[in-house]
Amino acid sequence: MTEFRVGRGHDGPARIGEYIMGTEVFETPLLTGHSISNEKMLQYGTLGRDPSNSRPTIAALPFSMKFEDIDKAGLGDFDSVLLPSLISFSSLDDQTSVLTLRHQLDAVDEIKETVDPSRLIVRIPENIDIDDFKSYIDDFHSKGIRAAAFMFDGYLGSTDLDSIILRSNLPASWLALALGKIDPSTVPLLYYTGFDVIDTGYAYETAATGVRLWRNDSEHIETGKQQRICSCVHCESIAGAKHSDLIDILQNHNLDVYVSILSESVYAMKSGRLRWLVESMTHVSPNQASIQRQVDKQIYSFIEEFTPTTGADNVPLIGPESYNSPAVKRYRDLLEARYTPPEGKQIVLLLPCSAKKPYSDSKSHRRFLESIEGALGSASGRVAQVILTSPLGIVPRELERIFPAANYDIPVTGDWDAEETSLGAEALITYLNKLDPSCTVVAHVSGGYLGIVKAAESRVSQSIIYTTPEASATSWESRQALQETLVDLKRVLQLKDTPPRQLEEIVRATADFQFGTGAGNILVPKNAKLGGKPYRQIVCRIDKEQICSFIADTGLLSLTLGGAKLIAPLNRYWVRLDAPFVKGGSIFAVGIKEADLSIRPGDEVIVLNNQDEVIAVGRSEMSGREMCELKRGRAVSVRHKVEV
Amino acid sequence: MTDTLEQIQSAVKIASFKSRGRSVEKRRAKNPNKPSAAWTITSRIGTESGIALSIVLSTIGCAHARSDEGGCTMCSYLLDGSSRNPSSDELFNQFQDAMSKLDKESAPLAVKIYTSGSFLDTEEIPSDARNQILKAIADDDRIREVVLESRPEYVQDSIIAEVRAILDDRIIEIGMGLESSSDVVRSLCINKNFDLKSFREAVEIGKKHNVGTRAYVLLKPPFLTERDALLDAKQTVRDAIDAGVSTISLNPVNVQSSTLVEKLWKKQRFRPPWLWSVVEVLRYAHDAAKNSVNVVCDPAAAGKKRGTHNCGKCDTAFVSAIRQFSLTLDVHVFDDLTCDCQSLWEHTLKHEDVSLLVHR
Repeated sequence: MTEFRVGRGHDGPARIGEYIMGTEVFETPLLTGHSISNEKMLQYGTLGRDPSNSRPTIAALPFSMKFEDIDKAGLGDFDSVLLPSLISFSSLDDQTSVLTLRHQLDAVDEIKETVDPSRLIVRIPENIDIDDFKSYIDDFHSKGIRAAAFMFDGYLGSTDLDSIILRSNLPASWLALALGKIDPSTVPLLYYTGFDVIDTGYAYETAATGVRLWRNDSEHIETGKQQRICSCVHCESIAGAKHSDLIDILQNHNLDVYVSILSESVYAMKSGRLRWLVESMTHVSPNQASIQRQVDKQIYSFIEEFTPTTGADNVPLIGPESYNSPAVKRYRDLLEARYTPPEGKQIVLLLPCSAKKPYSDSKSHRRFLESIEGALGSASGRVAQVILTSPLGIVPRELERIFPAANYDIPVTGDWDAEETSLGAEALITYLNKLDPSCTVVAHVSGGYLGIVKAAESRVSQSIIYTTPEASATSWESRQALQETLVDLKRVLQLKDTPPRQLEEIVRATADFQFGTGAGNILVPKNAKLGGKPYRQIVCRIDKEQICSFIADTGLLSLTLGGAKLIAPLNRYWVRLDAPFVKGGSIFAVGIKEADLSIRPGDEVIVLNNQDEVIAVGRSEMSGREMCELKRGRAVSVRHKVEV
Repeated sequence: MTDTLEQIQSAVKIASFKSRGRSVEKRRAKNPNKPSAAWTITSRIGTESGIALSIVLSTIGCAHARSDEGGCTMCSYLLDGSSRNPSSDELFNQFQDAMSKLDKESAPLAVKIYTSGSFLDTEEIPSDARNQILKAIADDDRIREVVLESRPEYVQDSIIAEVRAILDDRIIEIGMGLESSSDVVRSLCINKNFDLKSFREAVEIGKKHNVGTRAYVLLKPPFLTERDALLDAKQTVRDAIDAGVSTISLNPVNVQSSTLVEKLWKKQRFRPPWLWSVVEVLRYAHDAAKNSVNVVCDPAAAGKKRGTHNCGKCDTAFVSAIRQFSLTLDVHVFDDLTCDCQSLWEHTLKHEDVSLLVHR
């Protein structure tokens, strides 16, 4: 049996795992090639044409090979087998693509007695219609096949994009191979979009033409010409090397570039910075940037589905590629769909963001807070504070500790482009339309922030007062202007004192954001008692029973079993087991009957038993779809469970 | 063949037919008294060197290519032909017009008659025209060798007997496009529409009348990787020699207009074979022929992007070695061919098989 096991951890569809071929275990992501430079790589070749190997390999079946000849041709017991197909045939039209899949399906039936289907790899043709693809993958799945190879021509055009899009429709348990011409700079993107095995054939192809590859560049090596300095061991003898030696040197160097960039990608995945790495590679070439943008546009939901709820402590958002990165767009989408401003607000104060996060910890915001307090005193609770920022749009003060609001980092120049301004304005409009039209908006912003407010102004019903449009919001004069405006408003609006509600506002807003509209009022009803500090932990109790706690580090709520029972009727973030109770500290995918498909890795989830009773709460380790599709792997780390 | 393979074959047929577009209808009516082309080259004739005249008669062209079957995936030779079928007299005039090129030449001469179709197909060349042409050759003492071209189904006992009778003791060879000895390759990749059995029968009929047969072996039809193509051509050479042909003529695919091959080529989904592959097949054929079978290769568009080519730097040397080999059968002309692009070709052989990505 050959088996692919998905391991723990995600950043987008990227994952780690093990490809088990007999007694050999290859860690994925994995590089494959004709020539391999280390034992972690998987070799491939063509059955009966390339020399066979003692270690397991990927063996391509030639189209012309008779199935009864497979045994004699020297197939290893644990070799994986690429099913036969006709080169270029699927380029004719979508029907010929279907025929190449049908031919492979016939081949499975012919050889399944000789080669276990778990060892077979389907070649995905180009031009295949998505629905045909899905239906054929179902057929292959039911025959026991769990691996698919996609073709890349290296132009980063429609062929490569189609392969990525098709891959996004593969079941989570399948191994995805990328074969063809793959430049090192594309490796992070392919890993990010869920490819587990990546072809390094291009390392030799370039070496054969005297080209030395670099991480995001390449160099033609000519004798007598000045070369770039390379400190790798292979390149020591490059000066004056003969043509045949030069090919070997370049091949080894080039392979190492693949090894290095894949390792960089895996490390980035583990530290939640793979998206940043992928975005940084868009500057390698315009084609690289266009395919990345197309991927974001066309398979956003696939990328988002596997993007964890929490991430790195520091999330750099540098260019336009970040505007719609899953963590950012998801924040905007959830804010729009789930967030409700607290009750009783009469003033909305718009503030600029700060480099330090959370904003409250920054010098500028501490001073804004002093100005509010100084002007309004016990009536400060009448003010809804909203921070304008790019590319998140807006961040209500109550949510400033949530991911990625507490973690993002942007280049701050004060110049915002049209897309940023539009994202900000849309978010502001949506927010203000959730508030009473009689609220007064105080815009304590200038520069690019001002542009956002101006862009929104005609589409909101509240009136807007600008405190200091000409000067920096943080200057002493501006803060004076803010304070004076608030003092005036307190008098004009006759603001009444209100007890501080900061803790419940934070917990309610977080609950709605995390579990959907309505969760805040359920977890923090009028009679709830809250204690703690926003910058550390807030504990919420009802009738002395702890319901949930807000953890400032993550900006998220942890539920108790009691809290889970309260929000279970919302029918969200549930995982249903095929068992009466939970054993041990982890729940594995194999034991899960069903799960809410909106679960993302890192979400707080409610575990139900086969009687639909809440039996545990915990943190998801994978997305809901994976919980349903995978047969192995840790799905939930349990925090509390019903003891039996 | 399985149902799926039959459907693949039918899809190739349809695609081949579509690729022709309106090219066949749009052929112009040519001067019916002039051949499409005629040229002379120095060639091996028997054991001597002499002048060979090649004549392409302007006819309505290959019946297979004109039909709904779509014709072969790589061939649009019939576009050299005419939209109107010439009369027997006109065909003979074409022949005589071409023969004038031999006026000043002396023995030994060879005459090769091509038609962009089948010389022995009576729909293309009525039997009276055929016999008139053959008699004219028989009357010319300088001509020692005659090469005719036909699909195997027209190589029938009665016709060959007649040809032999007219041409008397001349060396006669019938060229047939075997292309590949694999029925799967010939039907799926070439859409050629005959089987190996009918080729073998044609060779036997030839032998019975002491008429030699020349197998055209195709190198790299579409839907094969470079290595698939290389191995298939070698196997075909082997099978053709075993069948008893007198000459192997290796034809690397070139990209002809309004063909399926051209359509694929324009989409980056086809590359004509490497000259390295051509040389490897010729070396193999030379060994397999053991000097009892002739091996020739006159690649069209060689060294150009539509024809068999290497990297561009070494193409001229390769093409001239191949021409030299065809004249002398001396395999050592290939010994000095070296180029840096050999590694790239070797990579292509291995990597195309695994990735099924066409390497350009």
